[in-house]
Amino acid sequence: MTIRAPKDFWSGLMFLAFAAVALLSARGYSLGSAGKMGPGYFPLLLGLVLALIGAILVARSFVIQGERVGRLSVLPLMVVVLGVCLFAFSIETLGLVVALVAVTVVSALASWKDFRLREAALLAAALAAFAVGVFVYGLRLPLPVWPAL
Amino acid sequence: MYRGTSNPPHEWRRRRTPIAKIRYLALLLSPLLLAFLAPSAQAQGYPNKPLKLVIPYAPGGALDYIGRVMAQYLGETIGQTVVAENRPGAGGISGTDSVARSAPDGYTIVIMDPAIVINPTLQPSVPYDLFKQIEAVSFISSSPEVVVVAPQLPVKTMAELVAYGKANPGKMNFGSAGIGTTPHLAAELFLQRTGVTATHVPYKTIGQSFPDMMAGKIHFSFSSIAGALAFTKDNRVRAIATTGLKRSPVYPDLPTVDEALLKGYEIDLWLGIFAPAGLPADVRTKLNASLNQALTKPELIAAFEKVGAVPRGTDPAQSAALLKSEFDKWKKIIVDGNIKAEN
Amino acid sequence: MDALANLALGFGVALTLQNIAYCFIGVFLGTVVGVLPGIGPVTTVAMLLPISFTLSPVSAMIMLAGIYYGAQYGGSTTAILVNIPGEASSVVTTIDGHQMARQGRAGPALGIAAIGSFFAGCAATLLICVAAPPLAAIALEFGPAEYFSLMVCGLIAAVVLARGSVVKAIGMVVLGLLLGLAGTDVNSGIRRFTFGYTGLADGIEFVALSMAIYGIGEIVYNLEQKAAQADVMSRIGRVWPAWEDIRICIPSILRGTVLGSLLGVLPGGGALLAAFGAYTLEKKVAKPPRNFGNGDIRGVAAPESANNAGAQTSFIPMLTLGIPSNPTMAMMIGALMIHGISPGPRVMTERPELFWGLVASMWVGNLMLVILNLPLVGMWVKLLRIPYRMLFPAIIGFCCVGAFTVNSNMFDVLVMAFFAVFGYLCLKLECEPAPLILGFVLGPLMEENMRRALLISRGDPRVFVEEPISLAFLIAAVGLLLVVAAPAIRMKREEVLKE
Repeated sequence: MTIRAPKDFWSGLMFLAFAAVALLSARGYSLGSAGKMGPGYFPLLLGLVLALIGAILVARSFVIQGERVGRLSVLPLMVVVLGVCLFAFSIETLGLVVALVAVTVVSALASWKDFRLREAALLAAALAAFAVGVFVYGLRLPLPVWPAL
Repeated sequence: MYRGTSNPPHEWRRRRTPIAKIRYLALLLSPLLLAFLAPSAQAQGYPNKPLKLVIPYAPGGALDYIGRVMAQYLGETIGQTVVAENRPGAGGISGTDSVARSAPDGYTIVIMDPAIVINPTLQPSVPYDLFKQIEAVSFISSSPEVVVVAPQLPVKTMAELVAYGKANPGKMNFGSAGIGTTPHLAAELFLQRTGVTATHVPYKTIGQSFPDMMAGKIHFSFSSIAGALAFTKDNRVRAIATTGLKRSPVYPDLPTVDEALLKGYEIDLWLGIFAPAGLPADVRTKLNASLNQALTKPELIAAFEKVGAVPRGTDPAQSAALLKSEFDKWKKIIVDGNIKAEN
Repeated sequence: MDALANLALGFGVALTLQNIAYCFIGVFLGTVVGVLPGIGPVTTVAMLLPISFTLSPVSAMIMLAGIYYGAQYGGSTTAILVNIPGEASSVVTTIDGHQMARQGRAGPALGIAAIGSFFAGCAATLLICVAAPPLAAIALEFGPAEYFSLMVCGLIAAVVLARGSVVKAIGMVVLGLLLGLAGTDVNSGIRRFTFGYTGLADGIEFVALSMAIYGIGEIVYNLEQKAAQADVMSRIGRVWPAWEDIRICIPSILRGTVLGSLLGVLPGGGALLAAFGAYTLEKKVAKPPRNFGNGDIRGVAAPESANNAGAQTSFIPMLTLGIPSNPTMAMMIGALMIHGISPGPRVMTERPELFWGLVASMWVGNLMLVILNLPLVGMWVKLLRIPYRMLFPAIIGFCCVGAFTVNSNMFDVLVMAFFAVFGYLCLKLECEPAPLILGFVLGPLMEENMRRALLISRGDPRVFVEEPISLAFLIAAVGLLLVVAAPAIRMKREEVLKE
């Protein structure tokens, strides 16, 4: 048995994984009756359909020919995700300016080959100034600008 | 049948317009002004910087409106800008929790409705302790709910509603704004006290239930006045009673449920201002006094009236007592009705 | 004629200097917040409510309405240029619009979006004049059963929409439905799939999800094809659509306008379904079918016309019934009530100057949008000349701010980080995100209405076929399913035979 359609195979696995999470966490929700359908009915139904689709994709991937999955660029993805997480954890305490500079500089590293520190720093500063101007002063969104003392 | 609310308010707005504009401008510019004023203002006592009033629901509802009106007039009486900030989520729990966890310095306060006392009973996990982490600064308004019925229903009074329900057991449906919301619990209390049976059909907001009520699919509901007003005004649904102990100025011709049918039946859709527990005594006094002073302003009274609310202030001791008694009252309805956030 | 007299009255109100000014403020602000990812018309209307209290009701409504349709307009700019849908209804615009931008045809894409929106806006305004009351009556006919069947029909249309494998598309719809169920269940009050996080109590934030998939996931994917990318994005090409482009778009714009106007009236997913439906329709009927999904200009014209027409007609149920079709409309009702006006059938007769003034101002506003935006097209397109290595961190930064500001909650930013990984995987595995988004938005509505219908019928499933409108939608759904299934089965057989 060889996997002939890797994209379908992995998509199928992804659907199966989501279906498993859904079915496992929905097992505590009551199904109810037809007249008073419980909160568990729809998740169970959808979970089963998704699992079925996942299974079809996996099974089919052994039969029909399909494309290979390209190389995953794990590192750039992780760098960007790290940048976003940095923003999330700093925005409430350190404020918009610090958080924005962090996310811009860090995510710029995702394409490290043409990363230039000075350029990234300038971009971050410009972006922070623009964001403070537009979001905080222009639109008056309640965003902390500077670190809370 | 009843008088609308549209006539008097235009007067006050026209009078107030220029000031309001200036005030809004001031609000826009306040961060700049503050930057200049900050050093000198620091020396004075509370409040020496803007206050934040958290509105724990999405913009647009009656609570949001009252919150914004309150922020404006509290700002005048306390002598500082009060910035209203929406922090929606989880039926008010997110916003309330953010205030419960902030410093008890009187600069962060929250406006809430009865959900603040209902949530701890109803929800298995509320992240804060209502009586240990939160204190009621003052209640600010009081508003009954209004009992509305489908226009097709041969029901014009509370007694007829009960008779119809008894004659058609299990046939009626009532709408609500979701499990454990005041429209749900108010109807539940009515069912408990009359023995009528009806099926609960929850909607996301009470407003969404009106088209189905107009089509006769939903038979009755206990709606907020703000939600029902547009539909009762031109009789697309029929209002038959209000739930306060006194008649509502919005529906002066409608009897209360208390006088028409059930002695002692009272549902008050109050709003209150809450703060993290442990405010310094002078801060509490100042905040409470400023709120109560704002509540006497004619402009504020007129603004509240548009959504069917009447200003009602309380001193700190009354506030604490009311919080406890309201908690007990709603808890009893929930426990007696065996209502849970699961089934 | 009555309609003409009414319209004359409306223009009399809308063309006063003061109201023109407020209309301009509205559409300008709307365009700005539409272009910025994350913050949308709801936030903006909320922030401007206090100012609107100090204006006359007509001016207030004109300004707030301008924000709403201006934002629809601005949203398409971001969708085309940087592939981030500002609102659910501009998701489909990203499909062909962004492809066009990558082929150096951003100018014509933006231009046709503007032209299509303007035409649709005008047509929908006329429609409101002529047919507001009967259309409102249609909306009133929609009970829970009808909504459920409409959603079923819409989801099946989403499968038709998909580019690649039908099986994967169905999987993505179902996954979208599941993701949409996260949060507090309306019918029972319990929290599903929240894994104990309060931040998920209201479900996964739409803005965070769509920016994660379309913004961040896509960026990482683009970085891989960087060499090609930099080259493509800096090629700008002509700014104005050629006459040939406009000519082939005329039927698409007409179809989109009709579909959008009709679906926009329905509360709930109306405007969203309008855009998806218009795109699906184009794919099926446009001749020659050419290359939808690879930058076909009609794939921009049709959904943009549809969502603008829908945005316009969604005022009908709001004004005539007091029933909001989306959160922005709910806020407008709030604003009206505060002015002491109860939206309902009587608004048209009791406050004709308000009703017709607002309708006429929409036409004025649409004209302003074109005047405001066509010159800007050149400027927006220049944005693409910024090197990608500088553009992408800026987009990520804006996505972060956008995700945070929706609820002032950092949890939404983390949700975005999580789904960025998911979105990237989907792209690598060629799983289309558009059906997922549609499923995500419609899922909770569909479940809610199905359970409500069964609750009211006491568990009798016949409600879905006994109501004529509901039955019609179900029949349409089955028909669509056959249309999709037939070629899919044939194709699969061919694939197997090829082996």
